Amino acid sequence: MPFNQFVVEQIAGDLLPNATPSQRIATGFHRTPTCNVEAGVHPEENRVNQVFDRVNTTGTVFLGTTLECAQCHDHKYDPFSIKDYYSLFAFFNNTPLEVKQNGNSVTFEFYGPTMDLPITTDQQKALDTLTAQKKRLDQQLAKLKTDSSAQQANWEKTTLTALQNAPEWSVLGIKQFSASGNPQHELQPDGSVVVTGPNPDKSTYTLRTNTNLPQITAIRLEALTHPSMHKGGPGRNKSPKENPNFIVNEFKLKVDGQKIAFASVTASFSQTRWHVKGSIDGNPATGWAINPEFGKPATAIYKLTKPLALKPGASLEFSIAQNYGGGRTIGRPRLSAMNGDPGATNLADNIAAILKKTKRSRQETKQLAEYFQKENPLLKSTETELAATNKKIAAIKPPTTLVMVEEDKPRETFIMQRGEYLNPGAQVTATTPGILHGMSADLPRNRLGFAKWLVAPQNPLLSRVTVNRWWAEIMGRGIVSSEEDFGTQSEPPTHPALLDWLSVEFIERGWSMRRIHKLIVMSATYRQSSRVTPATQAADAPNKWHARTPRLRMSAEMVRDNALTISGLLSTKMHGPPVYPPQPGGIWRHVGRNAPKYVAATDEDRFRRGVYVVWRRGAPYVSFTNFDAPDRGACVVRRPRTNTPLQALTLLNDEAYVEMAMAFAHRITEINEATVDSRIQFAYRSALSREARAAEINYLKPLLTRRLVYFQKNPKAATDLVNNVKGWKAPQGADPAELAAWFYLANILLNLDETITKS
Amino acid sequence: MNAAQHFYARESRREFLKSSGLGIGGLGLGSVLNQNLFADHAATRRPHFRPRAKHVIYLHMVGAPSQLDLFSHKPELTKRNGEKCPDHMFKGKRLAFIRQHPLLLGSRFQFNRHGQGGLALCEHLPQLGTVADELCLVQSIRTEHFNHAPAQLFMHTGFGRFGRPGIGSWINYGLGSENNDLPGYVVMITGSVAGAGNSLWGSGFLPTVHQGIEFRSNGDPVLFLSNPKGIGRDDRREIVDGINFLNRQSFDAVGDPEINTRIAQYEMAFRMQASVPELMDTSTESADTHTMYGTQPGKSSFANNCLLARRLVERGVRFVQLFDQGWDHHSGVFNSIPRKAKQIDQPVAALIKDLKQRGLLDETLIILGAEFGRTPMLQGNSNNGAAGNVGRDHHKEGFSMMLAGGGVKGGITYGDTDELGYQAIDHPMHLHDMNATILHLLGIDHEKLTYKYQGRDFRLTDVHGHVQDGIIA
Repeated sequence: MPFNQFVVEQIAGDLLPNATPSQRIATGFHRTPTCNVEAGVHPEENRVNQVFDRVNTTGTVFLGTTLECAQCHDHKYDPFSIKDYYSLFAFFNNTPLEVKQNGNSVTFEFYGPTMDLPITTDQQKALDTLTAQKKRLDQQLAKLKTDSSAQQANWEKTTLTALQNAPEWSVLGIKQFSASGNPQHELQPDGSVVVTGPNPDKSTYTLRTNTNLPQITAIRLEALTHPSMHKGGPGRNKSPKENPNFIVNEFKLKVDGQKIAFASVTASFSQTRWHVKGSIDGNPATGWAINPEFGKPATAIYKLTKPLALKPGASLEFSIAQNYGGGRTIGRPRLSAMNGDPGATNLADNIAAILKKTKRSRQETKQLAEYFQKENPLLKSTETELAATNKKIAAIKPPTTLVMVEEDKPRETFIMQRGEYLNPGAQVTATTPGILHGMSADLPRNRLGFAKWLVAPQNPLLSRVTVNRWWAEIMGRGIVSSEEDFGTQSEPPTHPALLDWLSVEFIERGWSMRRIHKLIVMSATYRQSSRVTPATQAADAPNKWHARTPRLRMSAEMVRDNALTISGLLSTKMHGPPVYPPQPGGIWRHVGRNAPKYVAATDEDRFRRGVYVVWRRGAPYVSFTNFDAPDRGACVVRRPRTNTPLQALTLLNDEAYVEMAMAFAHRITEINEATVDSRIQFAYRSALSREARAAEINYLKPLLTRRLVYFQKNPKAATDLVNNVKGWKAPQGADPAELAAWFYLANILLNLDETITKS
Repeated sequence: MNAAQHFYARESRREFLKSSGLGIGGLGLGSVLNQNLFADHAATRRPHFRPRAKHVIYLHMVGAPSQLDLFSHKPELTKRNGEKCPDHMFKGKRLAFIRQHPLLLGSRFQFNRHGQGGLALCEHLPQLGTVADELCLVQSIRTEHFNHAPAQLFMHTGFGRFGRPGIGSWINYGLGSENNDLPGYVVMITGSVAGAGNSLWGSGFLPTVHQGIEFRSNGDPVLFLSNPKGIGRDDRREIVDGINFLNRQSFDAVGDPEINTRIAQYEMAFRMQASVPELMDTSTESADTHTMYGTQPGKSSFANNCLLARRLVERGVRFVQLFDQGWDHHSGVFNSIPRKAKQIDQPVAALIKDLKQRGLLDETLIILGAEFGRTPMLQGNSNNGAAGNVGRDHHKEGFSMMLAGGGVKGGITYGDTDELGYQAIDHPMHLHDMNATILHLLGIDHEKLTYKYQGRDFRLTDVHGHVQDGIIA
């Protein structure tokens, strides 16, 4: 892509007619200003600060102009007035707020404009699986619905039978009553028994009867009231003044001498901690009681595990154990049995009515079919699964990226006196600074017009500033050494004619970045030796006049990429979200409530190029900042190039570099040529792209031999080193002593000045 | 001796710098023939005039404590507690949280007078009371920002947005360090650091060598300081020897003086591997010292960091910065102040006493402050509610900082706010003035300490700042 087009898309890709996704993504360039979301922030102030950042960055990067000075007052040195500044500001002023208050709370959220990106490969994979699953479920569901007509006919028949055999309670008239403690009793005509006379402390009732019911499904125990009891009961209490409670510890049934189990029990009321469940749990300490529901009947319904078919005249024997003491017994028990299918009672009345009809309307037929399908368990589970799958498909959201958008209604822009946004002066319109080339009348007065003005052929600054920056990157020093400032306070160019020629070449070669880079690196200047001689040092120590090619310590990201390449670990995987290579714990604690956790990658991602490493401005990647990477809080054109002990410590001890050294050691021991000499040569070619010199071999060889002997004699020392490298696992069959010895050489080579220097 | 070595040996550092044509600002970019990083500029810059202090210990109470409940006694505010605040304190003002016309909130703490100067301090600062005659309480500080991150940046860099160097970096740039084995600017933190994060001690546009180096209380005190498992000190020596031997070969071949700097840095790194753990190990301190600070060897706390600050200053470190989190009392101010005050009262008092008994207080400036102060108005709905609900909002119009040692007057209160503790009216002192004064105490003219960037000479104090003679002894 030609550089002029690149610039237009970076600044205003969103405003191009029919903007493509990549043109919109390009505008993310101006969405990198910091955004304060701390509680109590004022969103408009935050927005204005972001626009300041955009204007100043644009000036620095594309115009080599220090506009920032004109933010508060007319520029002291360069011909920019405060009015010029805010006229430029107006081009960038139509952006929405990027923080908003969370309702009435004191917290604020970032909500600036975003756009959806194509989904990731992992997401695509998940989506494919889910789509296949959805297809299978759709088919299954269709088949179930077809099959269901046959099943429905079957269901109708059985349900109808059950319905006709409607469940009802039949009172079981008690024929024989006995009780421990021998209270008196009177059988009643309504089938109940009234227990009278002296009340024993504890009592287990046994009640016997016979029935002709063909089947029973549940038993009902009623504790009825009677005037003989205090308050009418339903419990007898030994002391007549006390509450007439009862406690049924266990309720049991035998049919023809066989114990019958209950599946469940419910009661009209259960006292706290005396739930009716206690009456069938086999624990004599628990039971059913009803305080304070006195003076009215209490009922418990015991369901059988399955319908029990009975012979005519079958004998039933009930036992009611009441062992709490204090005479808390039932005063008037009555028993009933249920006949019929209790399940049939779950049927809604309208459906039951339809089912009983012999002639049904179309509507009724449909209603019945729908009801059946809904109640069909397989159908139900399939439908649930399908719904879940659809939900998962909907949840696969594309990743988003921040982009510029223009507000529909343009904002008015005023000069901000002393740079204060609450201190507006005269109104201004979007205009480019008068001192620079004019803005063609047919350009729109928005960001797109501004971008096109920037790349207009009449503008000498863009190409000059740009080729100067590339020259500086390659040569270590710009032709104008103040790369960010081409104003009156800048350093004068060392080679003005060269700068002019290069910038014209750049435009005439179609703004091709590649051609200019090629031109510079193939120049005689760049291809000189980098050797520093006393003569060159005396004449030109900073190498302003290029008597030699520069020796430059690599940039932070390059130091790492280079070491990854040497060690054979580099992953060339491209694209996707940022990666989290290993870093010491606790670095990200600096950041506020929006702080995600730093989970170091354990896969290939930790070996990807530095450009992919996640960047958190409040807590940047330390191994990079130690090598002069700026924290990116504000635009920095020129990085310093320092030489510090922290850099030494990083390359020696950062677990990432320790792993690289160990991998490099392994790579060296893996080559076919087995002599120490040839391995050293291989290591030198890998790390320094040259053969080792005799003096170097003579130094390293004894060191290696010494170490190898040591580790062979002390295998534990070797495994201590080899097995403790985080992230790295010794490949099978690798000799720990060899690896440990070569680790020394690998660690040394990765730390050499020459390794991290471009010369 | 080959030609390059001959050249290197012949050229003195000063001559080299002259012939290299680099200004001060360019030093970090080019070849620096120094023996170590941290002292590299010491020889190149001198103070502008006689310094009163050589070191700074800067204690930043992150979140901003209530000056009205610690340092600034306002009986009138207490008297009018619960009244609606006067209009001028709310109408037309922008506050971070308060949106409705608030009530006045008086302190519920007693203030006691201490020392010959009769300095009033909150009842929860009894230990500081014992060193009251060393303290200089500035009651009239003003700032420009009322959100934490911008205000923190402004406090340290004189600018409310990212990208500028902090005062510690400026001072190191100006004066360099005096220790060969330690950085000139050390940062220690208790709790997490809010808002502006690492940028608070970043070097901005100054060469990266001037950034603050964090000494951590967990794991490696300096990142990447310790060797990997299986590599002992002798093993590391062998490796560093190997690196330096081969780098010397390189120097012989290409003659780039940068290589010699790198050799020196590897030696320095090796020395740091011993000197930093030694520094961080407080077990060699006497029992009395530990009792005085309320510290325990091996534990991490604000008190421990105060003790470490003394050890750093003793070893010549120029600028030590301690951050302590947990002072943002929007609610529960009367519960939190006693608890937090207790954490700092004893160790800060101990630090002052300890430096004094070692003869270091005169040359060490201690500053205790925060990014802003807190409102004399209540944040929250009810003043009659439980103490836990009462808080104060951010306040930039008038708050307090405490100084000691390093050429400031002891036992004085300087400047004041109005009777309700709202507006600095007596000797108002903007943070730019404070920064100018701090530089002055170190012998630096804040208008002359500049760095050219983007076509202009930048200063810590921008175009502002007046040295406040009234607090200088």
